[in-house]
Amino acid sequence: MTTRTSSDSQIESYLGRVRTALSGLPEREIDDILRELRSHVVELADEEGGDAKAALQSLGDPLDLAKTYRSENQLTRAECSNSPLVILQGLRHANSSGWGRVLAAALFLFGYANVVTLWAAAIDKLFAPSRAGLWYTPGNLWSLVLVTSGNPPTGSRELLGWWLVPAAVVAGWVVRYLVDRIAQWWIRRYRLATTAAAGKNK
Amino acid sequence: MSTYKTIESSSASPMDKWEVQLRKGCLELAVLGCLWTGKLYGLEILRRLARDSDLDLSAGTVYPLLARLKADGLLESEWVEADTSHPRKYYRLTASGKRRAVEMAKAWSQFSATLQSLLSPLLKERTK
Repeated sequence: MTTRTSSDSQIESYLGRVRTALSGLPEREIDDILRELRSHVVELADEEGGDAKAALQSLGDPLDLAKTYRSENQLTRAECSNSPLVILQGLRHANSSGWGRVLAAALFLFGYANVVTLWAAAIDKLFAPSRAGLWYTPGNLWSLVLVTSGNPPTGSRELLGWWLVPAAVVAGWVVRYLVDRIAQWWIRRYRLATTAAAGKNK
Repeated sequence: MSTYKTIESSSASPMDKWEVQLRKGCLELAVLGCLWTGKLYGLEILRRLARDSDLDLSAGTVYPLLARLKADGLLESEWVEADTSHPRKYYRLTASGKRRAVEMAKAWSQFSATLQSLLSPLLKERTK
């Protein structure tokens, strides 16, 4: 009876720590995870004469376990989401090193900065048509510049006129699509390479 | 407390790391293969993997993987009130899971056969 009580308290303490570390996930999902873990531990403990210690050890550290669940959840959502914030969060989990995380996030944000610039140019063209545009200085191939605010370079001429509006909107969508797909490809690639955690070494 | 070894484990020998990578690569296939014949719950899957595939995995590895395969639509689950004191969560393959399992098994089989023909001279040499 004492062993049973002690085991129950160990199980509840362990599951309580997993629950705390899973906070933020949908409540229904957390309940389902904990119910399954409890079922696993109780069955193994019953086989061990009521001792839950070995069963809890087989689950590993509660914080590591919760981290794996959270990471899998974020990656799954990011893979099929259209929200840049969800994809960005997925990218955070899709790198094992700190530098990898920073680099992937920086590239993703750089891509989105281009999207914002293109759409800002389209909007600006509506309000300041003589200033916003794709400007080019004849004779200088490197002078092509998209102006959204400020003045265009001296001696340059605008190339697209009102076509800038649809062109910038479409280009923004294309860049956004490519950035999202590349990020999701990266996440998928990471998941394939690190399917859950490695198997126990035999 | 954690009993599983990760790829980042710096103390592992190159051979250990290679073997870990190899096992990781076929983990998803092994789980889908376990469920080919019917529904199983988590502990049964763990024991089946250990018995039939030499993949002695920790529960902390397999349960999150099952959750992910379910989120991917490859598995579905149901709670069954068993004769025991606790309910059990049974998993079974979805139609999409069955397709994926067959595709992966074919790819694995083809790859394994090709590699076998490449390695057979090496293995013959070893037995001389």
